[in-house]
Amino acid sequence: MSSITYLESQKDEYRILDQWLKAREYVYVGKDVKRIDALDKVTGRARYVEDFLVEGLTYARIVKSDIPHGVIEWIRPGRAVEHPDFIALVTCEDIPGLNQVGYYIPDQPALAEKKVRFHGEPVALIVSSKPDSLEELRNLVEVEIKPLKAVYDPLEALKDKVLVHEEHGSNIVLRTKVKKGDVSKALENTDYVVENVYKTGYQEHAYLEPEGALAIPMDGGMTIILPAQYPHLAQSIIARVLGYPQSKIRIIQPVIGGGFGGKDDMGPIIGAQAAIAAYKVRRPVLLVYTREDSFTSHCKRDPAYIRYKSGANRDGKLTFVDVEIIFDAGAYANRGPFTLWRATAHATGPYEVPNVDVRGILVYTNKVYQGSFRGFGNPQVQFAAERQMDELADKIGIDPLEFRLKNILRIGSRISTDQVLEDSVGVGEALVRVAEKCGWFEKRKKYGKIVDGKARGIGLACAWHGISTSRGVPDWCNAYINVSKDGSVSIYTGIVEIGQGTHTGLIQIAAEALGIPVEKINLIGGTTDAPDTGATHGSRGLSFGGVAILLAASKIREKVQKVASRIFECKPEDVEIRDGWVFEKIKPEKRISWEEAVKRCYAEGEELSATGYFFMPKGKFDEEKGQGFAYIVFSYMVSAVEVEVDLETGLTRILKVWPAICAGKIVNPKLAVTQIHGATVQGIGYTLMEEVVIEDGKIVNTNYTDYLIPTISDIPEIDEPIFVEDYFKFGPMGAKGLAEMALIPIPAAITNAIKHAVGVKPSEIPYTPEKLYRDLLRRMRE
Amino acid sequence: MKIRIIVNGVERELEVEPNELLINVLREKLRLTGTKYGCGIGECGACTVHVNGEPVLSCLTLAVEVDGKEITTIEGLGKDGELDPIQEAFIEEGAVQCGYCTPGFIMTAKALLNEKINPTREEIIDYIKGNLCRCTGYVNIVKAIQKAAEKISQRKSK
Repeated sequence: MSSITYLESQKDEYRILDQWLKAREYVYVGKDVKRIDALDKVTGRARYVEDFLVEGLTYARIVKSDIPHGVIEWIRPGRAVEHPDFIALVTCEDIPGLNQVGYYIPDQPALAEKKVRFHGEPVALIVSSKPDSLEELRNLVEVEIKPLKAVYDPLEALKDKVLVHEEHGSNIVLRTKVKKGDVSKALENTDYVVENVYKTGYQEHAYLEPEGALAIPMDGGMTIILPAQYPHLAQSIIARVLGYPQSKIRIIQPVIGGGFGGKDDMGPIIGAQAAIAAYKVRRPVLLVYTREDSFTSHCKRDPAYIRYKSGANRDGKLTFVDVEIIFDAGAYANRGPFTLWRATAHATGPYEVPNVDVRGILVYTNKVYQGSFRGFGNPQVQFAAERQMDELADKIGIDPLEFRLKNILRIGSRISTDQVLEDSVGVGEALVRVAEKCGWFEKRKKYGKIVDGKARGIGLACAWHGISTSRGVPDWCNAYINVSKDGSVSIYTGIVEIGQGTHTGLIQIAAEALGIPVEKINLIGGTTDAPDTGATHGSRGLSFGGVAILLAASKIREKVQKVASRIFECKPEDVEIRDGWVFEKIKPEKRISWEEAVKRCYAEGEELSATGYFFMPKGKFDEEKGQGFAYIVFSYMVSAVEVEVDLETGLTRILKVWPAICAGKIVNPKLAVTQIHGATVQGIGYTLMEEVVIEDGKIVNTNYTDYLIPTISDIPEIDEPIFVEDYFKFGPMGAKGLAEMALIPIPAAITNAIKHAVGVKPSEIPYTPEKLYRDLLRRMRE
Repeated sequence: MKIRIIVNGVERELEVEPNELLINVLREKLRLTGTKYGCGIGECGACTVHVNGEPVLSCLTLAVEVDGKEITTIEGLGKDGELDPIQEAFIEEGAVQCGYCTPGFIMTAKALLNEKINPTREEIIDYIKGNLCRCTGYVNIVKAIQKAAEKISQRKSK
């Protein structure tokens, strides 16, 4: 259906990637190399944004709206001006450029202008000479807002009685569509049909380091030390707000205390706010959100309302999937158009479905806005799809694992958008291996019985996740590598280290391609000093950032091979570089050191720097028809979960999780395992504990005491993950994305296990003990 | 107000405000930025330091309260350029991701292992449950503390 466009100008790049893919045996890739940043982090030497105590530093805090929807009458410093520490009050009137930080739709101000649209929206910044007086100062600022009627429920907002953005004319931001075959015809010829509504709530990132930015006016522009996930995006947005050319904005990443997508969205926004203040006071400004500010005012995982109807025949084959997805955008569109599209494309789950009709609606409400969060729109819809699979299996009367295996995607399958999967589909194997390891059939028989007021259950769920941007949205990566005269190597990449360990993996890839030990390589990442590498999101940092580094390093390798071939009097391709030695493959004893080879290159006019630009091949998606190319490749995940439910308290205890991941070549297994641990536990929090409580538009639980994230006492045993290495042709050595994956199947895996244990049919997360208890009572009454 | 404290073995005399928090004195005045602000209200443990050997949340402690006392921060761990066994174990077991909670975890674990050389898994979990981490899922943090305990008892028996 959809054909992929390959660029003639990138033929060399395709060749290099193919060579490394076929090598299959690697010296550094696939090994447990220690994190390069661990030593600084255990000694307290790692410098986060708050730790740059520069000369002349001032401190800022946001002043927030305490009204969810209203017209700003005035904002005055009030008695704050009398305070000895007061430096300035900054409002939208101080913005030299455009007051616009919207991502895809230009609907979001850096500081509220004329109107406020959610409780907690930043309306101004207070700047102080001391951090200790910030709270006192912001309480002195006078903000007068005339309240308007507000709308909080997305279904209510669809009626357009209250408009969040009048100029838009409707609360519907946009609609999405994926369509294949004929659902209504399929419905007539289907043996079993299940229809349910699924609901999911906001999820707070709750990274331990709240948002921050340090803006320093210097060199005729602005340097911002910024925990962001895409330095070049932050650069372009901050340039727009300041009215500067992009080249005058320099972004440097400090060590970052967790991101999970949240700092992808918030980096440019808080960076712009700090830059506006620094522009006004002409001094460095450190703006940090307090923990409470982070809860009230930063984006969160989109709440979803999903109507899901699907059917299968007696033979266990899916016949159709019919879904309506409503995503609550909150006050601004932010990433909603893309999270919703991702949800729409992934709504079938990783299955072959001949007839598909998925409709998405993104709707504004007067609440905090949604944003990127590990899984990016997909966990919501995989929860619905995978709960639905268990309900359908139940109705047909077959085992949920067998039902999945009958429909699972394989190489050559057509996905919901009718794109054909050409390679790298390991999910079927992952399912079989997880089931074997967790004792699936035995436990399905044995569990589900109440013993002493408790019942055990086992459930599983799959997930699939498109890598890189969707549809034909351009995606590229790049890196710059320079070899110094002493043979040490500097890599410049825009890929950001947010704790996931990507910089270590990237160095491993460079070491492999150059044939030198990792210790000789230094990586400068997350900065606009590097070429635009795209964002560190969508599980693309290591896979796509790694492609650029692999290409640049390979180009340098070829130059060294050329010079060395003259020494050894052989063909360049017969020169091997390994462990810091350069030699002819058939005569390894006659070798020179890497440093010697580098000296020769410098002496003989061979330039030892290179860039590694790569433009990801893409196809076309027809928005009108809802068909075509969706993603260049998918990663897959399967998790099985064993639970114990206490029928008296409604409490679910997760006993064990068995994860399996299909992410192509695993560059660093130890780091991969840590990502799976973290994502699994975040998924457990999302499924059972984490609830953002909103009353009259106001978030009432704005701290870790009232918003519960998993603690060390909530974690289950997590089995050694299964890696199904389904190599991807455009990944470095075949690697695909990994870091988001383990979260995505968890909500359905847990709730399917709960259903197996006690027979309730969870349709809403967080599935708190209260909800489970309510469903148990309801079931007993039936 | 004037206070005299010993920080990581060095005696300091400092002028502080009556409402000034220990975390801010350590970070701003002494530039010991390894101690982290995570919540400001004692919920997350990222600001944990030792006062006279006891783990204390520096975001809830006034600077004047520690007058005359001995304080150890993450920068004060390890001797003669060598890492503390807990720091080593956190690196080896992959217990570090973003690293923001790491100093707090290490300081809490240090206090535990000072009290008890060979804690059980349950004792580790019970002692450390006030420290939050959002990256690691805690799995390797438990392993690291267990490994550190082994290292310490091995060194003691030598």
